[in-house]
Amino acid sequence: MNSKILEVKDLKIRYVTEDGIVEAVNGIDISIEKGKTLGLVGETGAGKTTTALSILRLIPDPPGEIVSGSISLGGIEIFNLSENEMEKIRGNAVSMIFQDPMTALNPVINVGDQISEAISIHQNVTPDVAKKKAKEMLELVGIPGARWTEYPHQFSGGMKQRVIIAIALSCSPKLLIADEPTTALDVTIQAQVLELMKELKEKLDMSMLMITHDLGVVAEVCDEVAIMYAGRIIEQGTLREIFKNTKHPYTEGLFNSIPNIDDRKTELKPIRGLMSDPYNLPMGCSFCDRCDYSIARCKTEKPGKVYFSETHFVECHLYSENPDFKLTNLKGQE
Amino acid sequence: MSEVLLEVKNLKKYFETPRGKLHAVDDISFSLEKGKTLGLVGESGCGKSTTGRVILRLLEATGGEIYYKGNNIREFTKKEIRELRKEIQIIFQDPFSSLDPRMTVSEIIEEPIKLNKLIKDKKKRFERVLELMDLVGLSRRLMNTYPHELDGGRRQRIGIARALALDTEFIVCDEPVSALDVSIQAQILNLLKELQKQLGLTLIFITHDLSVVNHFSDDIAVMYLGKLVEKAPAEELFTNPIHPYTKALLSAIPRPSIDKKVEKIILKGEITSPINPEPMCRFANRCNFTEDICRGKEPDLEEVSPDHYVACYLFKGGEK
Repeated sequence: MNSKILEVKDLKIRYVTEDGIVEAVNGIDISIEKGKTLGLVGETGAGKTTTALSILRLIPDPPGEIVSGSISLGGIEIFNLSENEMEKIRGNAVSMIFQDPMTALNPVINVGDQISEAISIHQNVTPDVAKKKAKEMLELVGIPGARWTEYPHQFSGGMKQRVIIAIALSCSPKLLIADEPTTALDVTIQAQVLELMKELKEKLDMSMLMITHDLGVVAEVCDEVAIMYAGRIIEQGTLREIFKNTKHPYTEGLFNSIPNIDDRKTELKPIRGLMSDPYNLPMGCSFCDRCDYSIARCKTEKPGKVYFSETHFVECHLYSENPDFKLTNLKGQE
Repeated sequence: MSEVLLEVKNLKKYFETPRGKLHAVDDISFSLEKGKTLGLVGESGCGKSTTGRVILRLLEATGGEIYYKGNNIREFTKKEIRELRKEIQIIFQDPFSSLDPRMTVSEIIEEPIKLNKLIKDKKKRFERVLELMDLVGLSRRLMNTYPHELDGGRRQRIGIARALALDTEFIVCDEPVSALDVSIQAQILNLLKELQKQLGLTLIFITHDLSVVNHFSDDIAVMYLGKLVEKAPAEELFTNPIHPYTKALLSAIPRPSIDKKVEKIILKGEITSPINPEPMCRFANRCNFTEDICRGKEPDLEEVSPDHYVACYLFKGGEK
């Protein structure tokens, strides 16, 4: 019955630094079902990567501190596990792809050994079998198996990212966390890598948490979308609900900030101001200083969730004040 | 009426490397009218930034001519170049590393005015700095802060203020918004557009992001491995792309829309080496249509319809 691969409940994470306390993640709930992809979208500093790292329990402590919440992976509470047990999960049931393929690989070990390392650690196989499997993985991501003895510097950016995908998928994880996997790549290469990830996801029947700031990438690979702002998920829904029935003023602002490639006449409507200082989050809604619609209540009170369907909610006072409220700045939603 | 501000003819820039000559910019020509924006688009390593730098003579060209207001600036003396620098400026991609960390915001903006002895009176110079800060939307209270205290968007505003500090007429914007978040990116793009209108600036806008360039440019030139493969007015390029590379590039952009699905053209392989390129179409090895003729010699940029130039043997007559 429980087909949820990942379930995060009321997660709060902060970083205690000399300059003060950074409240990075402030009570979020997310869950991903088997075979689905959730897109976690937000700008720099929204808490996306912190959330991702916490799922693998990789938050550096200190300064990171998990204040409250629980994360369960396929029914197992990871905060109760020992470090040893956690080691068995990382790279096995859950793996992660990082943004920068240039720095995620070890420059003095050939790529074949880097892939078979992951296999030998998690699977009880002989080195020869691990080697054979590593070659298969390379071919799976579209690199000739013969290049297995080459070193990372002999590969281009797109190829390195493929190697990293091969490592991440070598133990057939149930959940793949991809942290801006294509941001550092050129568009034509990005298209290749996204295509590959979609294909492999189907083939291996995994779930994916896709972290990105690019709504174009989201439209291409995600089933559900969570929009994150200042450590909260301020709107979440299915892909269609977010794109066709946008509710939160911040989500609207994000859409209005993207130049529309098929219509060069539309004007950009940026969100004014800057993201609030995470050292000193406002008492009320974190977005209210930049919001065109804010009302008195937004300044003083944290908004709760308002549901539009079982899957679609926002955290915004406007809808609890007036259920018929409509955003008005949205340019032709296609 | 339409006065040509910049004309580039057969511009070449080669770098010597241990493995041979790297053809970063290989025989490109274009012209740019006053007050207009040319978008220079391409992927990493295609030579777009090198082109920008060579035009400003921040790098010396290997061959070709660069006419600015009718004068070949490649023949300018050092002194003439220094004069010229008051008019031609650059905005860099990374506002984190292009500003001196030990100078305050007002010092950074003041520096070019001081160095060029444009305004000698200290008080007047300071007034000009404040005026520039207002112009680019930097709050005056930030005057005495240092770059590290500011976010990327504000730092980029400093870069723009500095580029405008002199009698600027022409700016090369090298990926000015690539390092910024979308909401901030839109702020900076609107600012640049507004300033261009207000001050009548001529811009070369270098970027890998086609949606940004479409929004911003009058003309767009697509570069691939040091060559211009297609050049056309923005509208024309987007509605009627001809070169297979331009088509693939346009289709590869992830669109933030769930209805309008564009058929993706996935290219094989990756950009080839620009070192000692073979005399053939440089895109031939990744192209889905390559024929024998493509491997014979390099195609020239030819006008296929008014103002629309393409370098391709197969598609110059529209459909193949």
